[in-house]
Amino acid sequence: MATRTTAISVRGLEKRFGEKTVLNGIDLDIHNGDVLCIIGPSGSGKSTLLRSLAFLDAYDGGDVHVFGRMIGWRETPLGRQRMSAKELADVRRPLGMVFQHFHLWPHMSVIDNVTLSLRLVHGVPRTEAEETGRAMLDKVGLAAFADRRPDSLSGGQKQRVAIARALAVKPKAMLFDEPTSALDPELVGEVLSVMKALAAEGMTMVIVTHEMGFAAHAANRVVFMDGGKIVEEGAPQPMFAAPKSERLSQFLQTWRERAL
Amino acid sequence: MTSGFLSDLPLYASGLLTTLTVSLAGIALSVGTGIVLAAALRSPLLYISLPIRLYVEFTRGAPLMLVLFLIYYGGAQFGLVLNPYVAGVVGLGLYGAGAFAEIFRAGFNAVPKGEIEAADMLGLTPGQAFRHIELPQALGLTLPPSIGQAINLVKESSVLSVITLAELTKVAGTISSITFAVVTPYLTVALLYWAIVESLSRLGFYLERRLAVKGY
Repeated sequence: MATRTTAISVRGLEKRFGEKTVLNGIDLDIHNGDVLCIIGPSGSGKSTLLRSLAFLDAYDGGDVHVFGRMIGWRETPLGRQRMSAKELADVRRPLGMVFQHFHLWPHMSVIDNVTLSLRLVHGVPRTEAEETGRAMLDKVGLAAFADRRPDSLSGGQKQRVAIARALAVKPKAMLFDEPTSALDPELVGEVLSVMKALAAEGMTMVIVTHEMGFAAHAANRVVFMDGGKIVEEGAPQPMFAAPKSERLSQFLQTWRERAL
Repeated sequence: MTSGFLSDLPLYASGLLTTLTVSLAGIALSVGTGIVLAAALRSPLLYISLPIRLYVEFTRGAPLMLVLFLIYYGGAQFGLVLNPYVAGVVGLGLYGAGAFAEIFRAGFNAVPKGEIEAADMLGLTPGQAFRHIELPQALGLTLPPSIGQAINLVKESSVLSVITLAELTKVAGTISSITFAVVTPYLTVALLYWAIVESLSRLGFYLERRLAVKGY
Protein backbone atom coordinates (compact mmCIF):
# COMPACT_ATOMS: atom_id res chain seq x y z
CA MET A 1 0.00 0.00 0.00
CA ALA A 2 2.79 2.34 -0.83
CA THR A 3 0.51 4.13 -3.27
CA ARG A 4 -3.14 5.04 -2.78
CA THR A 5 -4.22 4.81 -6.39
CA THR A 6 -7.86 4.00 -6.94
CA ALA A 7 -8.79 0.61 -8.34
CA ILE A 8 -12.56 0.77 -8.09
CA SER A 9 -14.66 3.77 -7.16
CA VAL A 10 -18.34 3.73 -6.29
CA ARG A 11 -20.48 6.88 -6.19
CA GLY A 12 -24.10 7.16 -5.09
CA LEU A 13 -24.79 3.56 -6.06
CA GLU A 14 -28.44 2.53 -6.11
CA LYS A 15 -30.03 -0.78 -6.91
CA ARG A 16 -33.64 -1.88 -6.71
CA PHE A 17 -35.13 -5.30 -7.18
CA GLY A 18 -38.73 -4.44 -8.03
CA GLU A 19 -40.08 -2.37 -5.16
CA LYS A 20 -37.25 -3.20 -2.82
CA THR A 21 -34.25 -0.89 -2.60
CA VAL A 22 -31.20 -3.06 -2.04
CA LEU A 23 -28.46 -0.46 -2.38
CA ASN A 24 -29.31 3.01 -1.19
CA GLY A 25 -26.52 5.44 -2.04
CA ILE A 26 -23.19 3.70 -1.61
CA ASP A 27 -19.92 5.64 -1.83
CA LEU A 28 -16.72 3.65 -1.66
CA ASP A 29 -13.18 3.85 -2.96
CA ILE A 30 -11.15 0.68 -3.24
CA HIS A 31 -7.45 1.35 -3.57
CA ASN A 32 -4.82 -0.77 -5.22
CA GLY A 33 -3.47 -3.16 -2.64
CA ASP A 34 -6.55 -2.95 -0.43
CA VAL A 35 -7.89 -6.08 1.16
CA LEU A 36 -11.39 -4.93 1.89
CA CYS A 37 -13.93 -7.10 3.66
CA ILE A 38 -17.62 -6.31 3.39
CA ILE A 39 -19.57 -7.59 6.37
CA GLY A 40 -23.15 -7.24 7.47
CA PRO A 41 -26.33 -9.18 8.13
CA SER A 42 -28.12 -11.20 5.43
CA GLY A 43 -30.06 -8.95 3.09
CA SER A 44 -27.92 -5.91 3.88
CA GLY A 45 -26.94 -5.63 0.21
CA LYS A 46 -23.31 -6.69 0.50
CA SER A 47 -23.41 -9.36 -2.22
CA THR A 48 -25.37 -7.04 -4.49
CA LEU A 49 -22.73 -4.36 -3.95
CA LEU A 50 -19.96 -6.80 -4.86
CA ARG A 51 -21.83 -8.06 -7.92
CA SER A 52 -22.48 -4.46 -8.98
CA LEU A 53 -18.74 -3.81 -9.04
CA ALA A 54 -18.52 -6.32 -11.90
CA PHE A 55 -21.95 -5.38 -13.32
CA LEU A 56 -23.25 -8.91 -12.73
CA ASP A 57 -26.16 -7.00 -11.23
CA ALA A 58 -27.02 -3.89 -13.23
CA TYR A 59 -27.19 -0.87 -10.95
CA ASP A 60 -29.98 1.66 -11.35
CA GLY A 61 -28.35 4.85 -10.12
CA GLY A 62 -24.93 6.28 -9.37
CA ASP A 63 -21.88 4.75 -10.96
CA VAL A 64 -19.01 2.31 -10.59
CA HIS A 65 -15.65 3.01 -12.18
CA VAL A 66 -13.26 0.10 -12.64
CA PHE A 67 -9.70 1.31 -13.18
CA GLY A 68 -11.02 4.60 -14.47
CA ARG A 69 -13.77 3.31 -16.74
CA MET A 70 -17.47 3.27 -15.91
CA ILE A 71 -18.74 -0.28 -15.99
CA GLY A 72 -21.98 -1.40 -17.61
CA TRP A 73 -23.46 1.90 -18.75
CA ARG A 74 -22.55 4.46 -21.35
CA GLU A 75 -23.60 8.07 -20.95
CA THR A 76 -25.26 9.28 -24.14
CA PRO A 77 -27.19 12.46 -24.93
CA LEU A 78 -30.34 10.32 -24.67
CA GLY A 79 -29.44 9.05 -21.21
CA ARG A 80 -27.73 5.91 -20.08
CA GLN A 81 -27.46 2.95 -22.36
CA ARG A 82 -26.19 -0.51 -21.71
CA MET A 83 -22.74 -1.27 -22.97
CA SER A 84 -22.37 -3.93 -25.62
CA ALA A 85 -21.29 -7.34 -24.32
CA LYS A 86 -17.91 -6.74 -25.92
CA GLU A 87 -17.37 -3.38 -24.23
CA LEU A 88 -18.50 -4.78 -20.88
CA ALA A 89 -16.06 -7.68 -21.20
CA ASP A 90 -13.32 -5.17 -21.89
CA VAL A 91 -14.06 -3.05 -18.79
CA ARG A 92 -14.38 -6.22 -16.71
CA ARG A 93 -11.09 -7.65 -17.89
CA PRO A 94 -9.03 -6.55 -14.82
CA LEU A 95 -11.57 -8.11 -12.44
CA GLY A 96 -11.53 -11.71 -11.24
CA MET A 97 -14.54 -13.18 -9.51
CA VAL A 98 -14.94 -16.05 -7.05
CA PHE A 99 -18.45 -17.22 -6.27
CA GLN A 100 -20.01 -18.80 -3.21
CA HIS A 101 -20.96 -21.90 -5.18
CA PHE A 102 -17.69 -22.07 -7.18
CA HIS A 103 -19.43 -22.41 -10.54
CA LEU A 104 -16.76 -24.60 -12.02
CA TRP A 105 -17.75 -26.13 -15.34
CA PRO A 106 -18.44 -29.75 -14.39
CA HIS A 107 -18.03 -31.24 -17.88
CA MET A 108 -14.35 -30.23 -18.16
CA SER A 109 -11.23 -31.28 -16.34
CA VAL A 110 -9.73 -28.99 -13.71
CA ILE A 111 -6.96 -27.85 -16.07
CA ASP A 112 -9.49 -27.10 -18.83
CA ASN A 113 -11.51 -25.02 -16.36
CA VAL A 114 -8.40 -23.02 -15.53
CA THR A 115 -7.18 -22.58 -19.11
CA LEU A 116 -10.40 -22.14 -21.11
CA SER A 117 -10.35 -18.34 -21.01
CA LEU A 118 -6.63 -18.17 -21.77
CA ARG A 119 -7.16 -20.30 -24.85
CA LEU A 120 -10.46 -18.85 -26.11
CA VAL A 121 -10.30 -15.22 -25.05
CA HIS A 122 -6.59 -14.50 -24.80
CA GLY A 123 -5.47 -16.66 -27.71
CA VAL A 124 -2.79 -18.49 -25.75
CA PRO A 125 -1.72 -21.78 -27.37
CA ARG A 126 -2.76 -24.89 -25.44
CA THR A 127 0.68 -25.96 -24.19
CA GLU A 128 1.50 -22.49 -22.95
CA ALA A 129 -1.94 -22.07 -21.39
CA GLU A 130 -1.54 -25.38 -19.58
CA GLU A 131 1.82 -24.29 -18.27
CA THR A 132 0.21 -21.16 -16.80
CA GLY A 133 -2.74 -23.22 -15.59
CA ARG A 134 -0.52 -25.71 -13.78
CA ALA A 135 1.40 -22.86 -12.17
CA MET A 136 -1.90 -21.41 -10.91
CA LEU A 137 -3.01 -24.80 -9.60
CA ASP A 138 0.34 -25.15 -7.89
CA LYS A 139 -0.25 -21.80 -6.24
CA VAL A 140 -3.47 -23.07 -4.67
CA GLY A 141 -1.88 -26.40 -3.77
CA LEU A 142 -3.72 -28.49 -6.36
CA ALA A 143 -1.10 -29.20 -9.02
CA ALA A 144 -1.78 -32.92 -8.68
CA PHE A 145 -5.47 -32.45 -9.51
CA ALA A 146 -5.12 -30.97 -13.00
CA ASP A 147 -6.66 -33.92 -14.82
CA ARG A 148 -9.48 -34.59 -12.36
CA ARG A 149 -13.09 -33.62 -12.90
CA PRO A 150 -14.52 -31.02 -10.53
CA ASP A 151 -17.10 -33.52 -9.25
CA SER A 152 -14.32 -35.59 -7.70
CA LEU A 153 -13.08 -32.68 -5.55
CA SER A 154 -14.12 -31.49 -2.09
CA GLY A 155 -15.78 -28.10 -1.73
CA GLY A 156 -12.58 -26.51 -0.49
CA GLN A 157 -10.65 -27.92 -3.44
CA LYS A 158 -13.33 -26.72 -5.86
CA GLN A 159 -13.11 -23.21 -4.47
CA ARG A 160 -9.33 -23.25 -4.76
CA VAL A 161 -9.64 -24.33 -8.40
CA ALA A 162 -12.10 -21.47 -8.90
CA ILE A 163 -9.50 -19.08 -7.47
CA ALA A 164 -6.82 -20.52 -9.78
CA ARG A 165 -9.21 -20.14 -12.71
CA ALA A 166 -9.78 -16.47 -11.90
CA LEU A 167 -6.05 -15.84 -11.39
CA ALA A 168 -5.01 -17.48 -14.65
CA VAL A 169 -6.01 -14.43 -16.70
CA LYS A 170 -3.98 -12.08 -14.46
CA PRO A 171 -6.67 -9.88 -12.89
CA LYS A 172 -5.68 -6.65 -11.16
CA ALA A 173 -8.38 -7.03 -8.52
CA MET A 174 -10.24 -10.05 -7.18
CA LEU A 175 -13.84 -10.08 -5.98
CA PHE A 176 -14.93 -12.82 -3.58
CA ASP A 177 -18.64 -13.40 -2.94
CA GLU A 178 -18.89 -15.36 0.32
CA PRO A 179 -16.14 -17.74 -0.81
CA THR A 180 -16.37 -20.01 2.23
CA SER A 181 -20.09 -19.91 3.01
CA ALA A 182 -20.91 -23.08 1.09
CA LEU A 183 -18.09 -25.08 2.66
CA ASP A 184 -18.02 -27.60 5.47
CA PRO A 185 -16.38 -25.95 8.49
CA GLU A 186 -13.25 -28.08 8.29
CA LEU A 187 -12.64 -26.96 4.68
CA VAL A 188 -12.89 -23.22 5.29
CA GLY A 189 -9.28 -22.87 6.46
CA GLU A 190 -7.65 -24.12 3.25
CA VAL A 191 -9.51 -21.53 1.19
CA LEU A 192 -8.80 -18.70 3.61
CA SER A 193 -5.09 -19.50 3.67
CA VAL A 194 -4.95 -19.33 -0.14
CA MET A 195 -6.67 -15.94 0.10
CA LYS A 196 -4.25 -14.77 2.78
CA ALA A 197 -1.30 -15.74 0.58
CA LEU A 198 -2.86 -13.79 -2.26
CA ALA A 199 -3.31 -10.76 -0.01
CA ALA A 200 0.31 -11.03 1.08
CA GLU A 201 1.35 -10.80 -2.57
CA GLY A 202 -0.39 -7.44 -2.74
CA MET A 203 -3.46 -8.47 -4.71
CA THR A 204 -6.32 -6.00 -4.47
CA MET A 205 -9.20 -7.93 -2.96
CA VAL A 206 -12.83 -7.20 -2.14
CA ILE A 207 -14.39 -9.94 -0.04
CA VAL A 208 -17.96 -10.37 1.11
CA THR A 209 -17.64 -12.66 4.09
CA HIS A 210 -19.08 -13.94 7.35
CA GLU A 211 -15.61 -14.92 8.55
CA MET A 212 -14.99 -12.22 11.16
CA GLY A 213 -11.67 -13.74 12.13
CA PHE A 214 -10.46 -13.42 8.56
CA ALA A 215 -11.77 -9.85 8.33
CA ALA A 216 -10.00 -8.98 11.57
CA HIS A 217 -6.64 -10.42 10.60
CA ALA A 218 -6.31 -10.35 6.81
CA ALA A 219 -8.15 -7.18 5.84
CA ASN A 220 -6.75 -3.67 6.01
CA ARG A 221 -10.26 -2.22 5.69
CA VAL A 222 -13.68 -3.39 6.72
CA VAL A 223 -17.01 -2.07 5.52
CA PHE A 224 -20.11 -2.81 7.58
CA MET A 225 -23.38 -2.66 5.66
CA ASP A 226 -26.96 -2.69 6.83
CA GLY A 227 -30.16 -1.83 5.01
CA GLY A 228 -28.43 -1.10 1.71
CA LYS A 229 -26.06 1.46 3.21
CA ILE A 230 -22.54 1.56 4.52
CA VAL A 231 -22.99 2.09 8.23
CA GLU A 232 -19.39 2.07 9.31
CA GLU A 233 -15.99 1.54 7.76
CA GLY A 234 -12.39 1.60 8.82
CA ALA A 235 -9.46 -0.53 9.86
CA PRO A 236 -10.62 -3.83 11.38
CA GLN A 237 -9.02 -3.71 14.83
CA PRO A 238 -10.43 -0.39 16.05
CA MET A 239 -13.75 -1.13 14.38
CA PHE A 240 -14.17 -4.52 16.02
CA ALA A 241 -12.77 -3.34 19.37
CA ALA A 242 -14.88 -0.21 19.58
CA PRO A 243 -17.75 -0.07 17.09
CA LYS A 244 -19.15 3.44 16.73
CA SER A 245 -22.63 2.45 15.64
CA GLU A 246 -25.22 0.57 17.65
CA ARG A 247 -25.95 -1.70 14.70
CA LEU A 248 -22.37 -2.86 14.28
CA SER A 249 -21.98 -3.54 17.99
CA GLN A 250 -25.20 -5.60 17.89
CA PHE A 251 -23.97 -7.47 14.84
CA LEU A 252 -20.62 -8.23 16.47
CA GLN A 253 -22.34 -9.24 19.71
CA THR A 254 -24.51 -11.77 17.86
CA TRP A 255 -21.47 -13.14 16.11
CA ARG A 256 -19.48 -13.48 19.35
CA GLU A 257 -22.36 -15.29 21.05
CA ARG A 258 -22.55 -17.70 18.14
CA ALA A 259 -18.82 -18.29 18.30
CA LEU A 260 -18.98 -19.40 21.92
CA MET B 1 -40.42 -70.47 -48.81
CA THR B 2 -36.86 -70.60 -47.55
CA SER B 3 -35.44 -70.16 -51.00
CA GLY B 4 -37.88 -67.26 -51.45
CA PHE B 5 -36.60 -65.66 -48.27
CA LEU B 6 -33.00 -66.03 -49.40
CA SER B 7 -33.73 -64.51 -52.76
CA ASP B 8 -35.43 -61.61 -51.03
CA LEU B 9 -32.36 -60.86 -48.92
CA PRO B 10 -31.00 -58.16 -51.26
CA LEU B 11 -34.38 -56.40 -51.02
CA TYR B 12 -34.28 -56.50 -47.24
CA ALA B 13 -30.68 -55.27 -47.28
CA SER B 14 -31.47 -52.30 -49.47
CA GLY B 15 -34.53 -51.50 -47.35
CA LEU B 16 -32.40 -51.67 -44.22
CA LEU B 17 -29.79 -49.40 -45.78
CA THR B 18 -32.47 -46.89 -46.80
CA THR B 19 -34.10 -46.91 -43.36
CA LEU B 20 -30.73 -46.52 -41.67
CA THR B 21 -29.48 -43.65 -43.79
CA VAL B 22 -32.78 -41.78 -44.00
CA SER B 23 -33.29 -42.09 -40.22
CA LEU B 24 -29.76 -41.07 -39.31
CA ALA B 25 -29.88 -38.12 -41.70
CA GLY B 26 -33.29 -37.17 -40.29
CA ILE B 27 -32.00 -37.48 -36.73
CA ALA B 28 -28.93 -35.37 -37.53
CA LEU B 29 -31.09 -32.71 -39.17
CA SER B 30 -33.58 -32.64 -36.30
CA VAL B 31 -30.85 -32.49 -33.64
CA GLY B 32 -29.11 -29.62 -35.43
CA THR B 33 -32.36 -27.75 -36.05
CA GLY B 34 -33.50 -28.58 -32.52
CA ILE B 35 -30.42 -26.91 -31.01
CA VAL B 36 -31.04 -23.75 -33.02
CA LEU B 37 -34.75 -23.76 -32.14
CA ALA B 38 -34.01 -24.34 -28.44
CA ALA B 39 -31.61 -21.40 -28.41
CA ALA B 40 -34.26 -19.27 -30.13
CA LEU B 41 -36.96 -20.41 -27.68
CA ARG B 42 -34.88 -18.94 -24.85
CA SER B 43 -34.64 -15.56 -26.54
CA PRO B 44 -36.17 -12.73 -24.50
CA LEU B 45 -37.23 -11.17 -27.82
CA LEU B 46 -40.83 -12.18 -28.44
CA TYR B 47 -40.60 -11.79 -32.21
CA ILE B 48 -37.99 -14.54 -32.17
CA SER B 49 -39.34 -16.87 -29.50
CA LEU B 50 -43.04 -16.69 -30.41
CA PRO B 51 -42.84 -17.95 -34.04
CA ILE B 52 -40.51 -20.72 -32.88
CA ARG B 53 -42.94 -21.65 -30.13
CA LEU B 54 -45.74 -21.87 -32.72
CA TYR B 55 -43.58 -24.06 -34.93
CA VAL B 56 -42.72 -26.40 -32.05
CA GLU B 57 -46.40 -26.67 -31.12
CA PHE B 58 -47.26 -27.45 -34.75
CA THR B 59 -44.77 -30.31 -35.00
CA ARG B 60 -45.93 -31.66 -31.67
CA GLY B 61 -49.51 -31.72 -32.85
CA ALA B 62 -49.15 -32.82 -36.46
CA PRO B 63 -48.62 -36.50 -37.32
CA LEU B 64 -45.52 -37.24 -39.39
CA MET B 65 -47.64 -38.50 -42.26
CA LEU B 66 -49.32 -35.12 -42.54
CA VAL B 67 -45.96 -33.32 -42.53
CA LEU B 68 -44.75 -35.65 -45.29
CA PHE B 69 -47.84 -35.08 -47.44
CA LEU B 70 -47.36 -31.34 -47.06
CA ILE B 71 -43.71 -31.50 -48.11
CA TYR B 72 -43.90 -34.16 -50.80
CA TYR B 73 -47.26 -33.49 -52.45
CA GLY B 74 -47.88 -29.98 -51.19
CA GLY B 75 -44.38 -28.88 -52.14
CA ALA B 76 -44.86 -30.23 -55.66
CA GLN B 77 -47.91 -27.96 -56.11
CA PHE B 78 -45.63 -25.00 -55.56
CA GLY B 79 -42.97 -26.32 -57.89
CA LEU B 80 -40.84 -27.79 -55.12
CA VAL B 81 -40.34 -31.30 -56.48
CA LEU B 82 -38.32 -33.45 -54.10
CA ASN B 83 -37.41 -37.07 -54.55
CA PRO B 84 -38.93 -39.28 -51.85
CA TYR B 85 -35.59 -39.74 -50.13
CA VAL B 86 -34.91 -36.01 -49.72
CA ALA B 87 -38.54 -35.34 -48.78
CA GLY B 88 -38.24 -38.10 -46.19
CA VAL B 89 -35.10 -36.68 -44.61
CA VAL B 90 -36.52 -33.16 -44.58
CA GLY B 91 -39.85 -34.40 -43.21
CA LEU B 92 -38.23 -36.41 -40.42
CA GLY B 93 -35.89 -33.54 -39.68
CA LEU B 94 -38.55 -30.84 -39.45
CA TYR B 95 -40.89 -33.14 -37.56
CA GLY B 96 -38.26 -34.26 -35.05
CA ALA B 97 -36.77 -30.79 -34.57
CA GLY B 98 -39.73 -29.61 -32.49
CA ALA B 99 -39.40 -32.44 -30.00
CA PHE B 100 -35.63 -32.05 -29.80
CA ALA B 101 -36.06 -28.30 -29.27
CA GLU B 102 -38.19 -28.96 -26.19
CA ILE B 103 -35.72 -31.53 -24.88
CA PHE B 104 -32.71 -29.23 -25.36
CA ARG B 105 -34.53 -26.23 -23.92
CA ALA B 106 -34.96 -28.17 -20.69
CA GLY B 107 -31.27 -29.11 -20.87
CA PHE B 108 -30.17 -25.49 -21.28
CA ASN B 109 -32.34 -24.47 -18.35
CA ALA B 110 -30.61 -27.08 -16.19
CA VAL B 111 -27.18 -25.45 -16.62
CA PRO B 112 -26.70 -23.20 -13.56
CA LYS B 113 -26.71 -19.47 -14.40
CA GLY B 114 -23.64 -18.99 -12.21
CA GLU B 115 -21.56 -21.03 -14.66
CA ILE B 116 -22.42 -18.51 -17.36
CA GLU B 117 -21.59 -15.62 -15.02
CA ALA B 118 -18.21 -17.25 -14.40
CA ALA B 119 -17.71 -17.45 -18.18
CA ASP B 120 -18.76 -13.79 -18.56
CA MET B 121 -16.29 -12.74 -15.88
CA LEU B 122 -13.52 -14.55 -17.71
CA GLY B 123 -14.27 -12.67 -20.90
CA LEU B 124 -15.99 -15.40 -22.91
CA THR B 125 -18.44 -14.02 -25.45
CA PRO B 126 -22.05 -15.22 -25.20
CA GLY B 127 -21.35 -17.39 -28.24
CA GLN B 128 -18.29 -18.97 -26.65
CA ALA B 129 -20.17 -19.60 -23.41
CA PHE B 130 -22.94 -21.24 -25.41
CA ARG B 131 -20.64 -23.47 -27.40
CA HIS B 132 -18.23 -24.48 -24.62
CA ILE B 133 -20.35 -24.35 -21.45
CA GLU B 134 -24.06 -24.59 -22.18
CA LEU B 135 -24.29 -26.79 -25.27
CA PRO B 136 -22.05 -29.69 -24.19
CA GLN B 137 -23.79 -29.87 -20.82
CA ALA B 138 -27.27 -29.58 -22.27
CA LEU B 139 -26.53 -32.39 -24.75
CA GLY B 140 -25.07 -34.57 -22.00
CA LEU B 141 -27.90 -33.94 -19.56
CA THR B 142 -30.58 -34.69 -22.13
CA LEU B 143 -29.00 -37.85 -23.50
CA PRO B 144 -31.70 -40.26 -22.25
CA PRO B 145 -34.69 -38.37 -23.71
CA SER B 146 -32.67 -37.59 -26.85
CA ILE B 147 -31.97 -41.25 -27.45
CA GLY B 148 -35.66 -41.95 -26.88
CA GLN B 149 -36.60 -39.35 -29.45
CA ALA B 150 -34.04 -40.70 -31.93
CA ILE B 151 -35.57 -44.17 -31.51
CA ASN B 152 -39.01 -42.71 -32.18
CA LEU B 153 -37.75 -41.20 -35.41
CA VAL B 154 -36.32 -44.54 -36.58
CA LYS B 155 -39.69 -46.20 -36.02
CA GLU B 156 -41.63 -43.29 -37.47
CA SER B 157 -39.51 -43.53 -40.62
CA SER B 158 -41.74 -46.47 -41.56
CA VAL B 159 -44.31 -43.81 -42.52
CA LEU B 160 -42.00 -42.77 -45.37
CA SER B 161 -43.39 -45.78 -47.25
CA VAL B 162 -46.44 -43.64 -48.05
CA ILE B 163 -44.33 -41.32 -50.17
CA THR B 164 -43.05 -44.38 -52.06
CA LEU B 165 -39.64 -44.53 -50.39
CA ALA B 166 -38.34 -48.12 -50.51
CA GLU B 167 -37.42 -48.38 -46.86
CA LEU B 168 -37.95 -51.46 -44.66
CA THR B 169 -41.72 -51.23 -44.27
CA LYS B 170 -42.20 -50.59 -47.97
CA VAL B 171 -39.94 -53.57 -48.74
CA ALA B 172 -42.01 -55.81 -46.48
CA GLY B 173 -45.18 -54.67 -48.25
CA THR B 174 -43.66 -55.28 -51.68
CA ILE B 175 -42.43 -58.76 -50.78
CA SER B 176 -45.75 -59.57 -49.18
CA SER B 177 -47.70 -58.53 -52.26
CA ILE B 178 -45.49 -60.64 -54.53
CA THR B 179 -45.18 -63.78 -52.41
CA PHE B 180 -48.48 -63.51 -50.50
CA ALA B 181 -46.48 -64.21 -47.33
CA VAL B 182 -47.37 -61.81 -44.54
CA VAL B 183 -45.81 -63.03 -41.33
CA THR B 184 -42.27 -63.65 -42.59
CA PRO B 185 -41.60 -60.28 -44.24
CA TYR B 186 -43.20 -58.18 -41.53
CA LEU B 187 -41.56 -60.12 -38.70
CA THR B 188 -38.24 -59.88 -40.51
CA VAL B 189 -38.40 -56.11 -40.78
CA ALA B 190 -39.65 -55.89 -37.19
CA LEU B 191 -36.50 -57.71 -36.17
CA LEU B 192 -34.39 -55.33 -38.23
CA TYR B 193 -36.05 -52.26 -36.66
CA TRP B 194 -35.40 -53.80 -33.27
CA ALA B 195 -31.72 -54.24 -34.17
CA ILE B 196 -31.40 -50.56 -35.07
CA VAL B 197 -33.25 -49.43 -31.95
CA GLU B 198 -31.23 -51.72 -29.71
CA SER B 199 -27.97 -50.40 -31.20
CA LEU B 200 -29.11 -46.84 -30.59
CA SER B 201 -29.98 -47.46 -26.97
CA ARG B 202 -26.67 -49.22 -26.37
CA LEU B 203 -24.89 -46.26 -27.90
CA GLY B 204 -26.92 -44.09 -25.54
CA PHE B 205 -25.90 -46.08 -22.47
CA TYR B 206 -22.30 -45.96 -23.57
CA LEU B 207 -22.35 -42.18 -24.05
CA GLU B 208 -24.20 -41.69 -20.75
CA ARG B 209 -21.48 -43.54 -18.89
CA ARG B 210 -18.75 -41.60 -20.68
CA LEU B 211 -20.30 -38.18 -20.21
CA ALA B 212 -21.67 -38.76 -16.72
CA VAL B 213 -21.32 -35.62 -14.61
CA LYS B 214 -22.12 -35.99 -10.97
CA GLY B 215 -22.22 -33.59 -8.13
CA TYR B 216 -24.43 -30.73 -9.22
